[in-house]
Amino acid sequence: MTTASLRGGPEPTARAAVVSVPAPAAARVWWRTHSAQRKVFGYTLLAPAALYVLLLVGAPFLFSLWLAVSDANVGDPVARFIGLENFRAAWEMDTFWIAFQNSVVFLVVAAIFKSLLGTSLAFLLLQQFRGKKLIRGLVVIPFTLPIGISVLSWKWMYDSQFSVINWALSRVGLIGAYGSESWPIWLGQPHLALAACIAVNVWRTFPFSAIVLLAGFTAVPLEVIDAAKVDGCTFMQRFRHVVVPMIFPILMIGFLFDTVFTLSDLSVVYFLTQGGPGNASKILPVLAYQIGIQAGNLGRGAAIALFLVPLLVPALFLMLRNLKRREW
Amino acid sequence: MSDPQPVKTSTLNRRKFLTVAGAGVAGGSLLTMLEARQAPAQIKGTTLRILQWSHFIPAYDAWFDNVFVKEWGEKNGVKVRVDHIPHLELPARMAAEFAAGAGHDIIHNGSSILTRLYYKSLVDISDIYEQAGKKHGGWIPAARPLVSVEGREYGMPMFYILLPMLWRKDLFDQAGLKPPDTWELARVAARTLKPKGHPTGIQFSQCADANLNWRSLLFSFGGAEADPSGEHILIDSKETREALRFAKALFDEGMTAEVFSWDDASDNRFLASGVGCWIHDAISAYRTTEDTNPPVFANTQIALEPAGPNGKRVSVSAANVYMIWKFSKNQQAAKEFLTYFTDSDREGMIQSRGYNMPYLTGFAKKPMPIIGADPKMQILQDFPNIVAFYGYPGPFTTPIQEVVNLFVLPDMFTRIARGQNVEDVVKWGMGEYRRIFAKHKTA
Repeated sequence: MTTASLRGGPEPTARAAVVSVPAPAAARVWWRTHSAQRKVFGYTLLAPAALYVLLLVGAPFLFSLWLAVSDANVGDPVARFIGLENFRAAWEMDTFWIAFQNSVVFLVVAAIFKSLLGTSLAFLLLQQFRGKKLIRGLVVIPFTLPIGISVLSWKWMYDSQFSVINWALSRVGLIGAYGSESWPIWLGQPHLALAACIAVNVWRTFPFSAIVLLAGFTAVPLEVIDAAKVDGCTFMQRFRHVVVPMIFPILMIGFLFDTVFTLSDLSVVYFLTQGGPGNASKILPVLAYQIGIQAGNLGRGAAIALFLVPLLVPALFLMLRNLKRREW
Repeated sequence: MSDPQPVKTSTLNRRKFLTVAGAGVAGGSLLTMLEARQAPAQIKGTTLRILQWSHFIPAYDAWFDNVFVKEWGEKNGVKVRVDHIPHLELPARMAAEFAAGAGHDIIHNGSSILTRLYYKSLVDISDIYEQAGKKHGGWIPAARPLVSVEGREYGMPMFYILLPMLWRKDLFDQAGLKPPDTWELARVAARTLKPKGHPTGIQFSQCADANLNWRSLLFSFGGAEADPSGEHILIDSKETREALRFAKALFDEGMTAEVFSWDDASDNRFLASGVGCWIHDAISAYRTTEDTNPPVFANTQIALEPAGPNGKRVSVSAANVYMIWKFSKNQQAAKEFLTYFTDSDREGMIQSRGYNMPYLTGFAKKPMPIIGADPKMQILQDFPNIVAFYGYPGPFTTPIQEVVNLFVLPDMFTRIARGQNVEDVVKWGMGEYRRIFAKHKTA
């Protein structure tokens, strides 16, 4: 045994051998390192999800991008590239601008009401009362009902002649009898038609907002709330300075979902008014459907549907970046 | 010895003999098959898939699915599957099947006839179209433009749905009014009866009936959307302005604002409730009233399409056409079925309680089943002479399809009723028509 080996180091000859290990051998073993294998394992686990997103989200999105820059038509198997012509044509349609404006109004007004009603409902559901579990189950019914059925019910409630809403208002003396000037025609008067559509959208989706908020509220530690109470915070101060910052990521995700759901909600307006009267309640998804599918202009329909993307992407980017900053 | 010469025989050589004999056998078989209403053996054991609307008369669907189709399937050894969807969803389903290159063999179009949009993907069925015409006394003139593209037929017109005038005789008599034989008389009636609590109503909204009703009025006033070639827009005319002014007066004097919210079924309820003095709608409204309000039904009459200022009557009806996809693997059975379906038109009229009207003049002879036997409905037998479809007097072209699907014409009438200036309305409408026509011309 040499002194070197006694000290734990290799023999001089062995040291030389170690030094003379060729570089390619080191490269060959890189992927066998622990960190590399962890990475490979991680990506392998991630691959199905990535593939799923690529196939089910990426591919249709890319396809709709292609449609938007082509003259694709439902009856013609061949489409050719026409650049931004579909966007230009949509830009020149006054119906497009009406639909665009209505979409923005629809989104903003619905978001305000959903926030108010969703927050109130979430606070109510936080309280202890008998039958709480049953009530929690019942409030999600509007969200879980098939949209065709629920909207059909609303259509009856908004009927110009047999509206139960008008009947009730008339019975309590708030409006006159059927045929009088004060009898509201919910789906026939321009502002009322859009408001009626927004009301149904809010009714359908505010339970979702409430459930999201409820999940957030229950995640706030009671000790923090109690500490704020001891410090003399009012209810609104606790809500604004304690609860909201703590549940901010959940709020953002909920808001994100809600924005996407509202902007892409075709069914409510389509079933209630088809965008009428005279385009007063037309929103972009309805216009895109009518032009793209019913009239057969897939290209132009896709262009109209994609018009909100340039507006939404920066908003989503800012929102997600804000979320990430808060995480760190 | 001379070279052998071809034997001069009679003009009948082997090839001719085979041709003549083959044609004779084929013709004989076809005649036998037609006589027996039996399809050829090669379709036995196959499956035929049909997609169609849910008929407004539910009993018709029950008969079609459980009796008619079943009998034909059993007779010919074909398994037939019928799927029903709401008529408004048919264009979307058609687009989906076209994109997938798979789906049903036979597809139905109601009101919005998409033959010109899809003809490259549809089977040319000119042969059975012509045969049916020859067999049943010819087609009404409005039928061919629905299905004909570049001289070939890509669909089988099966039936159309009329929208006549349905009016309350008791209310008219009480007020000493004449029956609504002209649009002007209808307006006078509405003006007189609205203050008595009986207004009238036509949809000023985006629905199929609005597209049909306002076109009936426009065309009866002498207006047109396009010329007979279908190439040139004619909406900017004196007649259109007159029709718009008339509609505005009719709304102001005889309707309430509820017409802005109406869908295809609202006027049915309006009549059945006993409120409406007259409506311009399909006889489903008449049937609804019969089922729900017998006293009102007893006083409800059906009138011929009201005449315009110059006595012209044009009744724009909801067309219904059946087509066969090119991707269908059972085209033979599909053609056989459509032939049989056309031959059974009379039975379809009976089962639909007079709702389905025939395109074939042989079936339109008086007395027609159901409607010929009902004194109040007999007037419907006079409609085949005045019936028209979208695009009249031209064909139902792809630009007109888009105009219809975007509700441009009902929107023009809605704008005028809401108080917009006639010139502004025509300018807006013309702009929409021009934009749509120009796009299709470029394509």
